[in-house]
Amino acid sequence: MSDEGKLDLNRRTFIGAIAVAGAGAMLASCAKSYPPMTFVDVAPDGPPLKAGLIGCGQRGTGTALNFLKAGPNLKVVALADVLKDHLDSCRDELAKKAQVQVADDRCLIGFDAYKKLLESDVDIVLMATPPHFRPIHFDAAVEAKKHCFIEKPVAVDAPGVRAVLATGQKAASYNLCVVTGTQRRHDRAYQETYNRVSNGAIGKIVGASCRWNSSQLWYAPKKKEWSDMEAMIRDWVNWSWLSGDHIVEQHVHNLDTILWFTGMNPVKAVGVGGRARRVTGDQFDFFSVLFTYPNETRLASMCRQIDGCANEVSEYVVGTEGYTDCKSTIFDSTGKVVWKYQEAGSDPGKTKFNPYDQEHVDFVTAIRKNQPINEAEHVAHATLTAVMGRTAAYTGQEVTWDAMMDSKEHLGPTEYAMGPVPIKAVVPVPGNGADTAKHARS
Amino acid sequence: MFSVFEGLKKVGLNPRNLSLIGVGILIGFALLLGGKAGVDATSTDKFCDQACHAHPDATQTWIKSTHFTTKSSVVTHCIECHLPAAGLGYYTEKARLGAQDIYGKTFKDLTKIDWQSKQSLEQARTFTYDSACIRCHANLFSAGLSKKGVDGHLHYQRSKDKMRCINCHQHAGHFRGKKAEEAQEETDTEEQDLDKSFPPNPQGFQSYAEPIPGSELKVRLVAIPGGSFLMGSPESEPFRRPDEGPGHRVKLSPFWMERTEVSWREYEVYLLQRGNRGRSRDNPTSETPDAVTGPTPPYGSPDQGWGRGSRPAITMTYHAATEYCEWLSAITGKKFRLPTEAEWEYAARAGTNSAYFFPGDPTQFTRQRWLNQLLGVKTAPLGEYAWYLEDSASKTHLAGGTKPNPWGLVNMLGNVREFCLDWYDPEAYAHLAESEVLDPRGPASGQEHVIRGGSYRSDAADLRCAARDHTRQDEWLLTDPQSPKSIWWYSDCADVGFRVVREYDEATPAAASRQTGSLRKH
Repeated sequence: MSDEGKLDLNRRTFIGAIAVAGAGAMLASCAKSYPPMTFVDVAPDGPPLKAGLIGCGQRGTGTALNFLKAGPNLKVVALADVLKDHLDSCRDELAKKAQVQVADDRCLIGFDAYKKLLESDVDIVLMATPPHFRPIHFDAAVEAKKHCFIEKPVAVDAPGVRAVLATGQKAASYNLCVVTGTQRRHDRAYQETYNRVSNGAIGKIVGASCRWNSSQLWYAPKKKEWSDMEAMIRDWVNWSWLSGDHIVEQHVHNLDTILWFTGMNPVKAVGVGGRARRVTGDQFDFFSVLFTYPNETRLASMCRQIDGCANEVSEYVVGTEGYTDCKSTIFDSTGKVVWKYQEAGSDPGKTKFNPYDQEHVDFVTAIRKNQPINEAEHVAHATLTAVMGRTAAYTGQEVTWDAMMDSKEHLGPTEYAMGPVPIKAVVPVPGNGADTAKHARS
Repeated sequence: MFSVFEGLKKVGLNPRNLSLIGVGILIGFALLLGGKAGVDATSTDKFCDQACHAHPDATQTWIKSTHFTTKSSVVTHCIECHLPAAGLGYYTEKARLGAQDIYGKTFKDLTKIDWQSKQSLEQARTFTYDSACIRCHANLFSAGLSKKGVDGHLHYQRSKDKMRCINCHQHAGHFRGKKAEEAQEETDTEEQDLDKSFPPNPQGFQSYAEPIPGSELKVRLVAIPGGSFLMGSPESEPFRRPDEGPGHRVKLSPFWMERTEVSWREYEVYLLQRGNRGRSRDNPTSETPDAVTGPTPPYGSPDQGWGRGSRPAITMTYHAATEYCEWLSAITGKKFRLPTEAEWEYAARAGTNSAYFFPGDPTQFTRQRWLNQLLGVKTAPLGEYAWYLEDSASKTHLAGGTKPNPWGLVNMLGNVREFCLDWYDPEAYAHLAESEVLDPRGPASGQEHVIRGGSYRSDAADLRCAARDHTRQDEWLLTDPQSPKSIWWYSDCADVGFRVVREYDEATPAAASRQTGSLRKH
């Protein structure tokens, strides 16, 4: 055979081999399968489980209703709150919507009501007070060996976060179940999207952005007959010591999603923020923070609570081979949809299983099957991330994760009673004005 | 049958070889069982205590510790802390440490071994193991854990590559008295007593507590009365060095002196308020020409892992100490500075004129005499006043563990050596006038500054009130990898700190002629 002939033969074989390999790769990528996920529609039956609710406001009432729908043989038997009218409304709602009657002697009022609730025979404690109180209630509930549902965020400052990290580990050692209100983690569409991203669907993660821009929530102007403490609690979503400010209270959802999808906590944060229209309290109503993660990955985060602005609630995670909106869709790097969540009987990209219900289904299933879930660590880390962002915007300084984790800054009073509170509504102002005069031009 | 034997013989498996193999197997078993028996026999508490008669107090202090005398009657045995958990290096560590023990027993003089320094964190890390602690203490967040414990364990979880269990729980296995207990702070009653003797608003010239703005701390200042004394030591004093003479009379105006060495708590307020957070270590020359500068972050852990609180702040440079005084003066509006050498010795002596401020002969306390090494070193009462070579376990200590001198100053001797204002000159005393000197400030210039008082590393001979020492700038910056070297932190000096003095009357001539000695600028 001549050399040329040989070459031809080799080239043909080479091309043939490439073709086969290429086809194989294409087939492989089309057929790339992800580990199948199983979801539970309703919690299994079992011995009756009794729950107590600490914090009977709107979310608390909602939490109790979500819980009662999760499966058979579930009861809410005790309520605790500092405001009698809130507790009464909750009690009425439970009677109306879930046919649950809570006995008079199990309706407990006061800052220490939670202690009495924990002494009773409840198996489960649902906690939905303003987040300032969460670390205290969570620790007491775990020490009382109860399974816990803790609403997010789980603290308003670093000492609170540390307490929750420790309590979470205590709960693990007691084999207790701890589920938190970061309901995206229980949303089926989000979970299937995460399944793909964590198995490489968008390649290596290189950046992310998230925002929660919405209208303002609500406020309760102080009435003459209310003490400082009562007024602040009735207006809690506008007071930093009670809510952590809205980046912690609300935006933690998005920051938690980023933590989930990237698997990382930020190293440092720089941010801006301010107060444009908020009416009561001492909080900002907009934040924009740049978080830097390990490997120079960056998260651009934004949140706003002002009427009449462009609203959006979203998360995006960008990788070397595409990006995702975290909630249902994978795009390739040109923006073409590569995958979208599909569920029988539901629009593309949507799930008909309400994640607020699903999180309780998962909670009760874990308890009844004795396979505890413990979500304390991730919600504590997400909360600290939000606190870091707040601190960066309040002070104007770069804040590191280590400094934040070690911070001893405690928000709020040290004693709780209806009466005066030594906290004035002072809105933070970043930086300092010591050199302002130097910048004057004549 | 026969053919089988014939076949085996052909392969070499004749009765002789077979019996050799059998013997070999038996010897193997014997070694295995014997080896196990050997390992077990050398792992009992009795063996550790009695085999070498080497460390006499280990057993006694273990019996008094929380790992022997327990509410649950559970006893933790020697190897359960001093060897790793099974499967995590147990046999390799046993072999390593066993070899060290055999070497020591054979070739070393057991009476000369520095057992106390083996109690230091640095050395204890080589024969204690976190896996051993965690084997029993698996749950770091047990029921009823204090808030301090929670914070401590969370910190440990985040710093596993730098921290060990014994960083905080160093004396868990061996109880050596209240002085040795870790994480012990002044009790509330001690604080209350101190608050009584150091009230916030002084009426005239009396001891008081100066609050540090921006913190909850206060500097407790002892009022040192004006007077005169003989500075230096007589030629007859044991271990006297030539730079301590000739003795000369000094008269001093009254001043306030800090009761204790500047603590980490106080120094941290300075770091927080003046520390240059925006300036990275990587570009020390990029700072803007501010009038006010502040310390850069140090390399590693300046407290050497011994803890902070009321322990004296260390590893800061002389420059940093003078800047601290400038800062304290600025925020309080009062004049604070380092003590002059004369003020330091006057205050240390507290009206006495012996080697120490209590009766005692340095020759009995020192380790430098061979007779003491043989018969034992006297430690009382020096050990009650000072943390030094014999009792410090090679580290600094909290402020509350020692007795004050007759004027109420604590840890003048020992704990850390203290910066003084003066430039050091070995001939300084010779240059002073024959007649009494008023408020001397030392030489006009020099290379190094005076340091006084001895430290946790010092022998008793160097704790004498008259003993003089000086800074060693180049030596103490040897390991510093930066170029130019840090002006805020020494890389190779962990036993020097300082205490502040507040001038009493700003109008006195002495106050006007200030010298602010500072580091040679690069």
